[in-house]
This record gives sequence, C-alpha cells and structure tokens, in this order.
Amino acid sequence: MTNTALDELGPVDYLVVEFPAGASNFTGEMVEELLSLVDAGTIRVIDVLILTKDENGSIEAAELSDLADLGPLQTIEAQLAELLAEDDVVNLAAAMDPGSTAGVLIWENLWAAPFASAARRAGGQLIANGRIPIQAIIASIEADDDSLSEGE
Amino acid sequence: MPLRPARIGRVGVIGHPVAKTAVVAKAVTPGPAPIAKTAVVAAAVTPGRRRRRI
Repeated sequence: MTNTALDELGPVDYLVVEFPAGASNFTGEMVEELLSLVDAGTIRVIDVLILTKDENGSIEAAELSDLADLGPLQTIEAQLAELLAEDDVVNLAAAMDPGSTAGVLIWENLWAAPFASAARRAGGQLIANGRIPIQAIIASIEADDDSLSEGE
Repeated sequence: MPLRPARIGRVGVIGHPVAKTAVVAKAVTPGPAPIAKTAVVAAAVTPGRRRRRI
C-alpha cells in the first residue's frame, strides 16, 4: 500500500456479536443492513469470521465462504482482505460464553476517512478513541437526577 | 472447519484476549423494552442540549 493510500485509510473497527445457544433468529435483516452500509459507501468490510465455542471452551472458526448459502453476502465475501490471524481467533473468542456462536466483523469506516486524513495532515495523532455504551449514558443521567433530587 | 492457510502463522492484530463488555451485554439482555429510558437517552444526545456542570 502506498503512503498516499495509507493516508486515506479510515479507522478500522471490529465487533463480536454473540448469539447465545438457542437465541439466534436470523431473518436476513442483519445482512440487509450490512449491505446497505457497504452500498452507501459508509463502510468497507475487511473480514468476517463465524466462531463457535462449545461447552468445554473449544473454539471452531468458520470462514464466510464455508456457509452453505451465502446469498447477497457473496459480494462481500469476494472482497474480504482476511486481516485476522489464527491468534486473533483465540483472543476474540475469549469474550464468548461456552455454547455460543459469534459473528466477527472487521470494517473500515469510510465515512471517517476524509476527516481522519485531514487531522493527520494537520499534524494530529490519534491518542484515544472509544465507544460510549448507552447504558453508561443512562447511568450518568440517573446519577444527575439523583443528585438533583438530593439537593431539593 | 479450518481457517484459511493465509491466517496461520501470522502476527495477529487484536493483540490480547478480549473481555466481554459487561455494560453492553446488560443492554442487550432480553427483557422488557426500556421505553422510558430510550426517551431520556434520546433527549440527552439531542443536538443543542448541554448538560455540563462545573
């Protein structure tokens, strides 16, 4: 990858979505929404893996191409970069409960690339980033409400 | 189902065992929809609504 291409790369994120045993209900809605994000140029999917952890903690990893019927995911599968290594599978599966299945998604935030690139050109360096869970916002609001009622 | 050969023997990108995000896990635990809380959160992140206090 050239320096120019690297400079234009958006932030890369990952998520692990766990489906506890018996709790999965796949209707195709997730795939539709993912494809919408890709089609809109919001994200680029870099890698996908499906992990299963049995009751003894043994991990199995499946490639997207191992699925019997990929359907509309065929387009995404053809463009995967296979970023994750064997070590990553073990590290990601550490978050899973025994008996569960999880989808791992790695993506580039194309929507953020121009801003990130501009920040780098301005001399900025990313020193922290993260996500604020909705539950944390709720906790903060509730703490505010509590302190206000105590002051009444 | 084995991983593709290209994934074997490479240095990974995650770097450490990932811990389950307890807060998020709680948020997606099946149960009654927290309608009231949803409205409160929506209000909290509404543009122009400042709640900072010093």
